[in-house]
Amino acid sequence: MKFRMIPFRYFDAFMNMALDEAIMEAVRNGESLPTIRFYGWAPSAVSIGFFQGIRNEVNLDVTRQAGVDVIRRQTGGGAVYHDQFGEVTYSIIGPVEKFSVNIIKSYEDICESIVIALHQLGLNAHFEPVNDILLNEQKISGNAQTRRQGILLQHGTILYSVEVEKMFSYLNVSEQKISDKLIKSVKKRVTSISDQLDIPMEELQLALEKGFSVGREIEMGDYTEKELTRAAQLAEEKYKSEAWNFRL
Amino acid sequence: MQTGSAARKVPGGKLLRIDVTYTDKIQTVKLTGDFFLHPEETLEEITFALTGLTLPLDEAAALQKVKTVLINQEAQLIGATAEDIILTLQEALS
Repeated sequence: MKFRMIPFRYFDAFMNMALDEAIMEAVRNGESLPTIRFYGWAPSAVSIGFFQGIRNEVNLDVTRQAGVDVIRRQTGGGAVYHDQFGEVTYSIIGPVEKFSVNIIKSYEDICESIVIALHQLGLNAHFEPVNDILLNEQKISGNAQTRRQGILLQHGTILYSVEVEKMFSYLNVSEQKISDKLIKSVKKRVTSISDQLDIPMEELQLALEKGFSVGREIEMGDYTEKELTRAAQLAEEKYKSEAWNFRL
Repeated sequence: MQTGSAARKVPGGKLLRIDVTYTDKIQTVKLTGDFFLHPEETLEEITFALTGLTLPLDEAAALQKVKTVLINQEAQLIGATAEDIILTLQEALS
């Protein structure tokens, strides 16, 4: 199966999530190749999982004051702070039959591309079920997946740099989650490329392009005009709407 | 009408939160959290199955209802189980 790979580019939160959906539609309709895209979030944003309550998860007063966008994803999982300069995000979109039926296995298969990329940078990371990649037992990548109408979407973040205090000023971290005995300290849970290496973000982007190319036929490409137009429509009508974001 | 809420971090799994309103029956159930559920629309089926159950809760019957929904929808709940949902619901009702 050939994939279109779209290099790193910044969009706002609403366009980023809308592009995933627009590409899912285009792949479903046979108009676009299965796609791997890399992107950033400008301005910085908080995304929440499909099943999360926005008021439970996000300190909306603080995000509003800071100019940080807030958006609900179409994937499950937890709330994530996407710093404009602190992470690379990827999405992989393709027909479900091209991935493992077993959801955890499909996470692992896709995350293997990130593990390869991190190994190329000299970082001995590993996949940790359900949906994380750990480095020195600290989370460096979180991933989330949905399967809708025959199309699989998995997206995830790879942390380039992290400001834990800023991250948790935007998120309402539940006492229950912190009190899990596996989680000794929120600050000790996460790490980033910059904690380990002195490299520019572009080097991480290139490593990820290479990692996702291993074992796949790749054609470098760009968004189609139809995808961008459809995404702009979805961003306005769905992803910016209170009906979507405040659904729960 | 009474209200209740409970959150449960599944050991080694995800967070479940239930907000419930009830009289002598469950009136509304809101199930949120950072779990994964495929297909996602199954969530409405689960909350629908729990709505209207008579109190005190027959845990075994409620659990069977959730399990039946998951089987009928061929759904996969990841990071939590049907038992976790009922445990959280029972706590929200207490």
